[in-house]
Amino acid sequence: MNKARILIVDDEVQIRKLLTVTLKAHGYTTEEAGTGHEGLTMAEQLRPDLIILDLSLPDIKGTAVLNQIRGWSNVPVVILTVHDDETDKVFALDHGADDYITKPFSMGELMARVRVALRHVALSPEDPILTVGHLKIDLIHRIVERKGESVKLTPIEYALLRVLALSRGRVMTHRQLLRQVWGEQSYESESHYLRIYVGHLRKKIEEDPTRPQLIITEPGVGYRLLAPDASDN
Amino acid sequence: MPWVVVSAPTRPGSWFEGRAFLAATLLVAILTGILWESRHVFLIINIALLYLLPVLIVALRWGIWPAIYAAGLAVLVFDSLFVPPVFRYTVADFRYLIVFTVFLAVAALTASLAGTLRRQMHEALRREALTSSLYELSRQMAAVRDLETLLDEVARHVSRTFATPVPVMIALPDAHDQLRIAVRTPVIDSGYRVNANVLEWVYRHGEQAGFGENKNTELLYIPLKTENKVHGVMCIGEYGVGTVFNSEQLRIVEALAGVAAVSIARMHYEEEAKLSHLMAESERLRTALLDSISHELRTPLATIIGSVTGLLEGMDILSLADQRELLATIREGSMRMNRLITNLLGMVRLESGMLRLHRQSNDMADMIGVALRQVQDALSRRRVTVNIPDDLPPLDVDDVLIDQVLTNLLSNAVKYSPDGSEINIEVEFSADTMTLAIQDFGIGIQPMEADKLFDKFYRSPTVQHIPGTGLGLAICKGIIRAHGGTIKARRGTPRGTVMTIELPLETRLMKEKES
Repeated sequence: MNKARILIVDDEVQIRKLLTVTLKAHGYTTEEAGTGHEGLTMAEQLRPDLIILDLSLPDIKGTAVLNQIRGWSNVPVVILTVHDDETDKVFALDHGADDYITKPFSMGELMARVRVALRHVALSPEDPILTVGHLKIDLIHRIVERKGESVKLTPIEYALLRVLALSRGRVMTHRQLLRQVWGEQSYESESHYLRIYVGHLRKKIEEDPTRPQLIITEPGVGYRLLAPDASDN
Repeated sequence: MPWVVVSAPTRPGSWFEGRAFLAATLLVAILTGILWESRHVFLIINIALLYLLPVLIVALRWGIWPAIYAAGLAVLVFDSLFVPPVFRYTVADFRYLIVFTVFLAVAALTASLAGTLRRQMHEALRREALTSSLYELSRQMAAVRDLETLLDEVARHVSRTFATPVPVMIALPDAHDQLRIAVRTPVIDSGYRVNANVLEWVYRHGEQAGFGENKNTELLYIPLKTENKVHGVMCIGEYGVGTVFNSEQLRIVEALAGVAAVSIARMHYEEEAKLSHLMAESERLRTALLDSISHELRTPLATIIGSVTGLLEGMDILSLADQRELLATIREGSMRMNRLITNLLGMVRLESGMLRLHRQSNDMADMIGVALRQVQDALSRRRVTVNIPDDLPPLDVDDVLIDQVLTNLLSNAVKYSPDGSEINIEVEFSADTMTLAIQDFGIGIQPMEADKLFDKFYRSPTVQHIPGTGLGLAICKGIIRAHGGTIKARRGTPRGTVMTIELPLETRLMKEKES
C-alpha cells in the first residue's frame, strides 16, 4: 500500500516541495502539476492512486478539475483549501472529493487524510466488525458495544453510525449523511434532525458528550468518525 | 421668455373703497333723519357739531378719502336742511365754509391717526405671524438630524404657512453641482413645472425670480442663501389663482428660505465634521493597526528566522533536544502568526461588510465541543467544567463563526489565567434567548474597561506583558452582533473574568409552527 503514487496539483512551488518531501519520506511516490490543465493531463496519463488538489488554481477552478476527473475516474481526491471558504469545501465534497485539509495544516493531519482516502478504496465488506476507540460495531449483526457493553440504538441512530463507520476517518457532509440515512428525497432544511440525532448518538457512545472524541464535528461542513488508526500519528 | 422679478404686488381695493363711500353716505343719511325729527330741540351749532360724528367714524374706519367725502356731504346736507332758508343755498352760507374746514381738518387728522394705528397694528400682527412661523420652523429644524427630513419639514412648513396650501419644491445640488429636486410637497394640482433654466439661473446668481406669464408667475424661485453660499433653490407655487404673493407673504417666504438655508448649511457642516472625525478615527486605527501588525508579526517572525538559521547553521553542534526545542519554537511562532492573520482577515471581513452569515440550525453543545477540541492543548492545564442543560433548543446561527467566537473566548480564558485554575462553561436558556457564560479565575478585568475590551486594538494596561493584538474580542463582538446577540464582560467573584454571550432563540421549528 505504501507504494501508492500521489499526484500533487498546486500552483505554489513551496507547498509542492513540502508535500513531496513529506510524502516521499513516508514511502509514497509523487508527481507534481502546477496548473489545472497540467493536473488533468497527468491524472489521465499517470493514473495516480490519489490526487491532492488545491482548490485555487491559476487557470481553472479546482472544482472544475475535480468534476472532470470524476467524469472518468474514482481515484481518491483530497482537497487543499484556505481557511475561509466552507462553501467551496462542501461543494467539492458533495461533488466527489474524498476529504479536505485546510491550509495551514500539520503533516500529521495530512498523512492521516491520505491514509484514510487510500484505504477507503481498498475497504471491503469482509471487515464487518469495526473497532473505533472503545466502540465496537458489528455491521452484520447490527450490534454496537461500548467498552464491552451493548448500546441500544434506534434504527436511525444505528443507520447514522453505520454510514459514519463505513467512511470512518473521512468527513461526511450534512447532505451526504442526510441522503444516506434519510434517503434521496431529504432536504437540506432537515439538517437540524441530523444534529439532533448526532446529539443522541453522542450521549450513547461518547465518554463525555460535551467533549466528543469519536464523532467529530467539522464546523460548516459535516461530521467525521474518528479513524481507527488516527491515534498512532 | 418674460422673466418677472417679483415686486410688491397690487392690492385688491376697488370693492373695499366703494363700500366705504356707501357707508359714509348711509351714516350721514341716518344722522340727518334723526336730526330732522328733533331739529326743534337743538341749536344750529349743536347740529353742526353732531355732523362731525359720521366724519369721525368714517375717518377711523375707512381712512382719508371716504372721510373727506363724508365731510363734504355733511356740510352740504347741513347747509341745505338746517340753515335757513331751508332747501336753498345762499351767498350768506359761505360762512359755513369755516364749519367745512373744521370738518375737513378733523377728518384728515383722525384718518391719519387711525391710519397710523391701523398700520402699526397690521405691522405688529404681521411681525407676530412671521416670528411665530419662523420660530416654529427653526424649532422643528433644530430637532432634525438628517437632510431629507429637514427638507421635508421645510417644504411642508412653507406649504402650510398660507391659508391655501401652496406647492413647494426644493432643489439641491448633487455631487456634480447639478440641481436635483430633493423634495416636493404632495399638492393635488401638479400643473406646476419647474423650469430648469430658471432654476439654474437662480442658483448661480443667488437672486429670486418668478417665472410665467407677465404678472402671473407660476412658480417663485427663491435661492436658499447663507452669507457666502447658495445651498439650493426653493420653488413655491403661486398663492391663489391669478395672483402673486403680496409683499408680506413674500417677506415670510424669504425669511423661511433664510431659516431653511441656515439649517441646510448646519447640516452640511455637521456632515463635514462627522466625516473629518471619521477620518481622524480611521487614521488612529490605521496607526494602531500598523503598530500591532508590525509588532505582532515581527516577534514570531524573529523567533522563526532565528531558530531556522540556528538549525541550518548549527546542525552538528546542536543536540537533538536543542533541535527539538528550536523546532517547537518555530511551530509556536508560526501558530501565533496564523492566529494573527486569521484575526486580521476576520476583522477586515467584518468591517467591510463582507461577512455573510450561513445560518443553520445548530446545537450549542456541539459547538462548545468543537471549540474545546480546538484549544484542547492549551486547556490541558486547566480544569474545565461544562454545564449544559439536556433539553437545549437548537440555535439558528453560523456555526463556523460562533465556533470562532468560542475559540477566541476560551483561548483568552486560558491566556489570562494561571496553570491549574478552573474554567467554567455554563449554558442557560429562556423562552427567547440562550445565554452562555465562560468564567475563568485569572487576572480579571478592571470594571471600567468592561466595554472598552471589545474595541479594536484595545489592550488592557494590566496585560501589556502578554502578547495579543486587541482584535479577538472586537471580532467576537462583531460576530455576535451580526447574529443579533450581545456579548459582555464582567469581573468574576472572587477573581477572574466572566464573558457572557446572549443569542436570540429564533429556531426554525418555532418559525415552522408559526407559519
